[in-house]
Amino acid sequence: MGIIKKLPAHLEKFPGGGIAVTSLETILLQGQSKSVWYLLFGTACCAIELMCTGASRYDFDRLGMIFRATPRQSDLIIAAGTITKKMAPRLRRLYDQMAEPRYVIAMGGCTIKGGPFYYDSYAVEKGIDHIVPVDIYIPGCPPRPESLLEGCIHLQEKIRQQKLSDWQEK
Amino acid sequence: MTRDELKDYITKQFEGKMTLLDTGRHDPMFEVKPADLLEVSQKLHDDENLQLDFLCNLGAVDTGEIFEAVYSLDSTTLKMRLDFKLILPRDGAEVESVQKIWPGANWFEREMWELYGINILNHDNLKRFLLPDDWDQGHPMRKDWDAPDFIRMPEL
Amino acid sequence: MPELRTEEFQVNMGPHHPATHGVCRMILTMDGEKIVKIEPVIGYLHRALEKICENRTYAQCIPVTDRFEYVTAMSCNQVFAMAAERLAGIEVPERAEYLRVIMLELNRIASHLIFYGVTAMDLGALTPFLYGLREREAIIDLFEMTCGQRLTYNYIRVGGVAKDIPKEFIPKCHEAIDVITEKMSDYEGLLNENPIWLVRTKGIGVMPAKLGIDYGVSGPVLRASGVDYDIRRDDPYSIYDKFDWKPAVHQNGDCFDRYLIRLDEIKQSIKIIKQALEGLPEGDIKAKVSPNFKPPAGEVYARVENSRGELGIYIQSDGGKKPLRVKMRGGSYCQLQALPYFGTNCFIADLVAIFATLDIILPEVDR
Repeated sequence: MGIIKKLPAHLEKFPGGGIAVTSLETILLQGQSKSVWYLLFGTACCAIELMCTGASRYDFDRLGMIFRATPRQSDLIIAAGTITKKMAPRLRRLYDQMAEPRYVIAMGGCTIKGGPFYYDSYAVEKGIDHIVPVDIYIPGCPPRPESLLEGCIHLQEKIRQQKLSDWQEK
Repeated sequence: MTRDELKDYITKQFEGKMTLLDTGRHDPMFEVKPADLLEVSQKLHDDENLQLDFLCNLGAVDTGEIFEAVYSLDSTTLKMRLDFKLILPRDGAEVESVQKIWPGANWFEREMWELYGINILNHDNLKRFLLPDDWDQGHPMRKDWDAPDFIRMPEL
Repeated sequence: MPELRTEEFQVNMGPHHPATHGVCRMILTMDGEKIVKIEPVIGYLHRALEKICENRTYAQCIPVTDRFEYVTAMSCNQVFAMAAERLAGIEVPERAEYLRVIMLELNRIASHLIFYGVTAMDLGALTPFLYGLREREAIIDLFEMTCGQRLTYNYIRVGGVAKDIPKEFIPKCHEAIDVITEKMSDYEGLLNENPIWLVRTKGIGVMPAKLGIDYGVSGPVLRASGVDYDIRRDDPYSIYDKFDWKPAVHQNGDCFDRYLIRLDEIKQSIKIIKQALEGLPEGDIKAKVSPNFKPPAGEVYARVENSRGELGIYIQSDGGKKPLRVKMRGGSYCQLQALPYFGTNCFIADLVAIFATLDIILPEVDR
């Protein structure tokens, strides 16, 4: 019952079972944070680390994160790898195709500020926050799978701190 | 053929068309005049003792004063390598396409055309390649190229 | 009855498509369900590595080459270091050459394991992906132990290698290759006789040898078409001529042979690593090279055999501390160029199989 203890819920025990009383908001956000499906959007080196995170040793699935090949079914873009000027409009288009609520993780130095390609490169977009709003930044070149997992846990935390009224405004 | 035998053979067979340069550090490097390119290439490809049927690499070089086009060849049957280069003027550089001889040259030449502005004659597919479709800032691999958002690494 | 007529139409595949291993876009012209024309559109990952290298010293270029072909980053380091050594006439100590060969071959195995997993996943089987990446982690642990990085190593430097291996490397390495040797039968058992796999790959996308040579296709893809050509043997570099091994060659040139040849290459690599571990001598690991060394003016084209074919770097030096020109050539570049000439007249699902077994990765194409 570890999960229940962490929730802001009232637990009523009686013989043969129990009833947890909590707000609709908590349940919805808890559910949302535990099933963030991400879009397979790997462009460069970080994509290999994203694959490793999804494979057996690091096991992304235990956070409830399953990859989807289409933006219509996904809640999260993990922008893994360099975004060039030629690719930038496509990233925006993919983001626009996703349904609300949607989140973006900038994985690796390239997506944060151009990374190793900041100087002397005429083709690299220096940071994807010019193109799409970013929720979590994960530094590294490329970040280790552990950093990616940590970033995703932070994203879940961020989702749980939302309010239902935020949804209504949108 | 060893590298020295290859040098002798080429100098003898291609007298006046291919000149040995002393800049090649591992494999022999020759210079070919742009006008002789197609004839020399065809002969290198067809010669019984050379059979250079594999184009490893083709790239342009901007030295600041001239352009060079460097061809690296290889023989998959006789296992030997040689390089040759063309010297081109910086204004109005033009070079014949060798895709009839080595079809793989197609993309390498397209890249030369796009990034250096070297015009390729008789090429069947000179279209935008690596750069964005709406690119209008010239040929970025030239040494004197510059753009407002291009940041050079500061000297340490 | 009126005659039935079909009309050609175009389908756009990519740049964001799960089966294109990155960001490749292909414009397919279809006649019914058959592909009649493929037009690759590239450049979505063009990061101007060549321009960056022109503004870095030789030592600073090595991390840039890591990003050129990240799945086998060791061979990119190797080819750049080799080119710079040939320019400046630097002799590499013998121990460093042995360490380089061990790392290069381990990296080749890691890359082929990714190929095994990803190709199977593209064709609809998830288990091989989990199997392949599980054993790859054992190799990545070895790299991490040696140079601290999982993917972009910056390990092979001009004149030698960055660090000596730690004490526990050799037993761990033996352990890792023993595990992989043992698991090879699992890999083969999962796919080699799997009827779905056979239908998807046998006789699909046959590349004739002549076409491959014309378009500059190299490496395992060319050897699967029956051309016995391996740079490690035919233009020997480092110390590959000291070991007893032979390149794997298959004859049919279809997707199935391109898959089999990778498994055979893993076995050959294990053979080389075992010999290299046995003969590893004591001694220096790096020749004395100043970080700002200036090679004399000249030019060189160096090439190595990596898991995707011929990986070459052309460097021209004008005598300064920075190279005048660095041109990178990857195997995938030529394989993607050749794809429209043998990938047509099949279904889109077959194109996915062909694309996957060519093992194209896009940074090598776009640079």
